[in-house]
Amino acid sequence: MKLSNLKDINTQELSSVLDVKGREALLERFSTLGLPSKKSEEYRYFDVEKLFDLEYKTLNYIPKTIVESDKIEIVDGVVVTAPKGMRIYYEACEMIDMENFDPLYYLGHLLSPLTIKIEIDGDTEVEIEHRFTQSDALINYRIVLYNQANRHATLYENFVAEDIENTLVLYGYDMHIAQDSTLRVVKKHTMEESGYSIVASHRINVAKQANAIFKSFDLGGGQALQLLKVDLDTYAHIDASHLLYLNENSKRGTVSQIVHNGEHSTSKQEAKNILDGDARGIFDALIKVQPSAKFTKAEQNSKAILLHDKAYMASKPQLEIYIDELEASHGATTGQLDKKQLFYLQSRGISYVEARKILVIAFANTLIETVKDTRQQELIKASFEEVFYKGHKEYL
Amino acid sequence: MSKNSKDIIMDIQNLQAKIGDKEILKGLNLQLEPGKVHAIMGPNGAGKSTLSKTLVGHYDVELTGGDIIYKGKNINEMEAEERALEGIFLSFQHPVEIPGVNNAYFLRTALNAKLKHQGKEELNAAEFLRAMKSHLADLGMKSDMISRSLNEGFSGGEKKRNEILQMLILEPEVIILDEIDSGLDIDALRAVSEGINKMKDGKRSFLVITHYSRILDYIEPDYIHVLKDGRIIKTAGPELVSELEENGYDSIKED
Repeated sequence: MKLSNLKDINTQELSSVLDVKGREALLERFSTLGLPSKKSEEYRYFDVEKLFDLEYKTLNYIPKTIVESDKIEIVDGVVVTAPKGMRIYYEACEMIDMENFDPLYYLGHLLSPLTIKIEIDGDTEVEIEHRFTQSDALINYRIVLYNQANRHATLYENFVAEDIENTLVLYGYDMHIAQDSTLRVVKKHTMEESGYSIVASHRINVAKQANAIFKSFDLGGGQALQLLKVDLDTYAHIDASHLLYLNENSKRGTVSQIVHNGEHSTSKQEAKNILDGDARGIFDALIKVQPSAKFTKAEQNSKAILLHDKAYMASKPQLEIYIDELEASHGATTGQLDKKQLFYLQSRGISYVEARKILVIAFANTLIETVKDTRQQELIKASFEEVFYKGHKEYL
Repeated sequence: MSKNSKDIIMDIQNLQAKIGDKEILKGLNLQLEPGKVHAIMGPNGAGKSTLSKTLVGHYDVELTGGDIIYKGKNINEMEAEERALEGIFLSFQHPVEIPGVNNAYFLRTALNAKLKHQGKEELNAAEFLRAMKSHLADLGMKSDMISRSLNEGFSGGEKKRNEILQMLILEPEVIILDEIDSGLDIDALRAVSEGINKMKDGKRSFLVITHYSRILDYIEPDYIHVLKDGRIIKTAGPELVSELEENGYDSIKED
C-alpha cells in the first residue's frame, strides 16, 4: 500500500481504496482535510510526504490469546500480553471526535475499524509496551482507553523496535477521562536514526472536574510526530509536558490543540527541547478558548537549547481566544548552553562532555523529576544518558 | 626574584594576552614558589583578573605571547579541565549560578574526576558525604547548602565559602584566589581565610589577587607583586602593603 494514492481522491474512491463500508462521516472528514503534505499547517515541519511515497505491506490484525504478564504488550498492533484481570476488547470506537484537526486521526480510524479497548479499573498503574517487528510495513492501530470516575490511574508507555527498516507506524489513543478522576500518562520513546517512523494521533477528552496529566519524553533520532487534540469540560484540567532530546537528523515533536470548552477549565503546557546534530524539533501548539469557556486559565511555554549550529527548533505557541474573562499566557525561547556555566564546570576538572551533560540534564530535570515513580524516573534518566553519550561519541 | 627551577611551581614568562581587541597583559613575568603566598595588588584595569583567567585557560582570553610553565611543563595549549586535573584552581570573583545542578552532585563529580585522573578509586555518595562533613563545619556552612542548586540564590558570602569548599575537596597545588574578600562580612572573611590557611602545607602555592589589604591581615603573604598596565612592576615583602596603603600605586617605582 502506498498512502500517496489517497491524495486528492473523493470519498467513493477512498472507500474503495481503503475497502471501507459505511463510515461515510469519517470518509468525508478525511477527504475534507486531505492527506497531509508539506503545505499542511500541522505537518509543515515534518517530512510526511516521503513517508507516503513508500510502498508498505499491510498486516492482518487478528486478535490473539492474551498471555498474563505484568504489562500490556502490543506487538505490531495486536495485544499479546496483559496483567491479570485487565479488561481488553477489540471493538468499534463509539466516540470518534468529529472536530479533530488531524487527517491522520481519521485515517487511523478508517484503517482500524476495530480498536483495542482498554478499561482501567480503580487506582492503578498500567504499563503498555509497543513492539514493532515488521520491516517495510504499515502498522496501524488505535487504542480506546477508559478510566473510572473518582479514580486516579497512571499509564506508562514505552516503545521497542526489533531490527526493522522502512516501517511506518500510525497509532493513537482515544482517551476518555472520567468525571472527577485523574489519568496520568508518562510516555518514554527512544528511537534510533533509522528503522521506523511514527505518527501518533491522540484525542484526550477530559470530563468535568477531571485531570489529565500527559508527559512525553522523546529521545534520540528518527522521525516521529505526536498530535494531541484535547477537549476540556467544566473545571477540567490538563498538565501537558514534553521533553525532546534529539540528535543526528531527527525530526520529532508535538503538534497540539487544547480546546477549552467548559468554564473554569485550566491547562498548562510546557515543552523543553534540546537539539543536537542536524535535528529539528517541533512544538506547534494551539490553545483555543471557546465562548463557553469563561474563567479559563491557560499557560503555554516552550524553551529550546541548541547544542549544534545546524540544529533547528520550530516553536509555534499560539492562543485563539473568543472571550474576555480568562487568564492566558504563552511564550517561546531558543538559546544555547551558557558558556560561563560550562567553563565553571570544566574549571573544576569536569570534562567537556560531562559538563555539557550536567547542564543539559539540569535543563531537562525540571520535567524528568515530575515523574513521581522513582523507577520510571530512573529509566528515563538512563535512556537520556544513553542517547546523550551516543550523540557525543566523537568527544569520548 | 630568580630561583632554581626546583623552587618554582609555576613560571610565567613574558606573558602577553588580550581579550577581544584589547591587549591587557604586556609581558608579565612571575614565578610562584611552593609553600608561598603571593599577593598581586594593582589598580583597576591593571590586568589582575585577566591574569587569573589566562592561568586557567578561560575562553575569553587569547594568549598572544609568552609561556606558562607549570611543574616544568608548558601548559599554554592545555584545556581548562586538564589544568584543573593537574592541580590549578581558580576561586572565581563572581561564581556562576547553575540552577538544576545539585551542589553535592557537582562536587562529587569534580572530586571523582580528579581521583580518576590520579588513578584512585572514586567515592560513592555516602563516602563523599562523610568526607564533606568536617569541611562544612570548618567553613560554617549549613549542610543543606550542598543539597541546593549550585550557587543558586547563595549570598555573596555563601558563594565564596562554596568556592573554598571546592578548594578543600580538590586539594589543588596552585590556588588562585580572585578577589576572594569582595562582598564578605567580617565573619565570612574569617571563615574563608581559615579555610585557606588550613591548606597551607609548605608545598602549595597561593596567588591572592586583591584590591585591598584587608584579606592580607588574615592570609599572611610572603611576596607582594604590584601589577600595573599588564606587567609586574615591583616585587617585595609584606612590608610593601603599608607603603601602598599610604601612598597608592602611583608612588611605586618600577624595579
